[in-house]
Amino acid sequence: MNAIEVRNLRRVYKTTTGVFRRQTKEVVAVDDISFEVAEGELFGMLGPNGAGKTTTVKMLTTLLIPTGGIAKVMGHDVVKEAQEIRGRIGFIFGGERGLYWRLSGVDNLRYFASLYHVDPAVARKRIDYLLELVGLSDRRDEKIEGYSRGMKQRLHIARALLHDPEVLFLDEPTIGLDPVGARELRQVIRNLQSEKKNILLTTHYMFEADALCQRIAVIDKGNIVALDTPEALKKIVQDLTVIELEVFGIPQELVDLIGTQSFVDNVSVEDREQKQVLMVQTPRGAEAVPDLLAMFNGVRIGRVTTREPTLEDAYVRLVGGEA
Amino acid sequence: MSKYRAYLRAVLITAEMTLRQNVADMFILFAILFQPLIIAILALWMLQERGGDYAIFVVVGSGMSGLWSSLLFIGGNSITSERWTGTLEALVGSPLPLQIVVFGKNLAQVLQSLGSMVVSYLLVVVLFGLDVSVAQPGAFIVSLLLTVITFVCFGLIIASVFVLNPDVQRWQNGLEFPVYILAGFLFPIALLPGWTTPISYLLSPYWAAQALHSTSSGSGDFSQTLLAWGMMVLSSVIYLALSKKLFDYVLKKARVDATLGMQ
Repeated sequence: MNAIEVRNLRRVYKTTTGVFRRQTKEVVAVDDISFEVAEGELFGMLGPNGAGKTTTVKMLTTLLIPTGGIAKVMGHDVVKEAQEIRGRIGFIFGGERGLYWRLSGVDNLRYFASLYHVDPAVARKRIDYLLELVGLSDRRDEKIEGYSRGMKQRLHIARALLHDPEVLFLDEPTIGLDPVGARELRQVIRNLQSEKKNILLTTHYMFEADALCQRIAVIDKGNIVALDTPEALKKIVQDLTVIELEVFGIPQELVDLIGTQSFVDNVSVEDREQKQVLMVQTPRGAEAVPDLLAMFNGVRIGRVTTREPTLEDAYVRLVGGEA
Repeated sequence: MSKYRAYLRAVLITAEMTLRQNVADMFILFAILFQPLIIAILALWMLQERGGDYAIFVVVGSGMSGLWSSLLFIGGNSITSERWTGTLEALVGSPLPLQIVVFGKNLAQVLQSLGSMVVSYLLVVVLFGLDVSVAQPGAFIVSLLLTVITFVCFGLIIASVFVLNPDVQRWQNGLEFPVYILAGFLFPIALLPGWTTPISYLLSPYWAAQALHSTSSGSGDFSQTLLAWGMMVLSSVIYLALSKKLFDYVLKKARVDATLGMQ
């Protein structure tokens, strides 16, 4: 049996605008997605903000009712058998909210353990173990309001694991964390993976998906545009070379112009403090550099390098530069 | 762990955690301690000409006013406040029915609100030097227990109605004093126009006030107290049954409208 099965899932939000002449508008968050997560798999959903990742997770965790399609978790329907699912899953949504800030870390966990009917004696041992796992044992009795963002997110992980769930949903768990905090959290996820937990992870960090996930669904505008292993996804761009140019104040018109060139497959710009890095995917390799440089009339250029494509480049190709 | 034992445990832990959080909340301290104190002082001045048992009437009445304010403002917002703190999704996504959590939260509010009665008692005895004694202590304790239960159950209805209809929530201030008056916390409802009496009968706080006033002052016969107890039990059962339907409806609607979390 698959841990998660999704068939033609769809979710439409209705929003209203105006005060006197109210108008209802429909926004398609998830259009039509299908996938399954095998038992023991760490499955990733990768996509830009607003792609439909969180909406999908909320439907799978029974917090949203789908507009259409079928979704099952451990064989149970998310609409008709929500109650059967809730005791078997754990979930976290990225960010600091969702905890009781005026309570200590250990009191938060005691409370959430009672919501999941965990026997008090079992809960005590489990809380000790989880606080150790997420590195919060020495701060357990302090109020959450004094915790850093990373500590709160690690406490969320502990909360989600209190009842030893069969399926774990991690929605952008490292968002907003400093590099050290994010690395520690990824190590916690790796440890869970080694325990053969069924995990669905959403992220918009390519390296995170590459490092952790066995398979990745790239989602864009509510649809899955690619679904494969990280290695297979990288092959999408294996015939390409990436030319990276450091530029200073490049106009958007020039970026658009470069994108229309026959030797350019894809182009994207990343801001890095005062400069920008222009990333050009091309099948012509380093030979394309002179043609490219010839287009920079009057724009200051810094370092130019070529490199092999990564998962990020495959992602950019798939979602059209909306990283 | 059996289901009902797990529910009971969850109610007690929820109440414990709510009390711990409330200790640092100044608004809650105002609703429970200072507002009933002000009402008690005003009532003492107004009723001192009446003589007799007015002191205990003020202690019980102002205590109930604190209880009602706490339930209306804090209990009424119990689901909405979870939404604002981002914890509602975690609660709804757990296997525990949400009404058990709200029951535990209301229990905490009601229990701590009994502190209003203690404050009023101290005011009357220490500051005003009046003699306060409970005429039927045993029956008074039973009345107090039933009051706690019926207020907690009434709070379930308030919380779900406030979530369903935010316009009702905006009337919170307007709902506070009519119930003081209609339930006879500080003045007998006989002083009110006759057409308001049926409304009073529909409110469980009215029966709670009846039971507490009659057992504390010793006025009225025991059959009236029994009737008040019966009405509190009956209304609690009705509130519980109704709240199950209301919560099911509220949660289904929230999952359709995507309003469990703040976007």
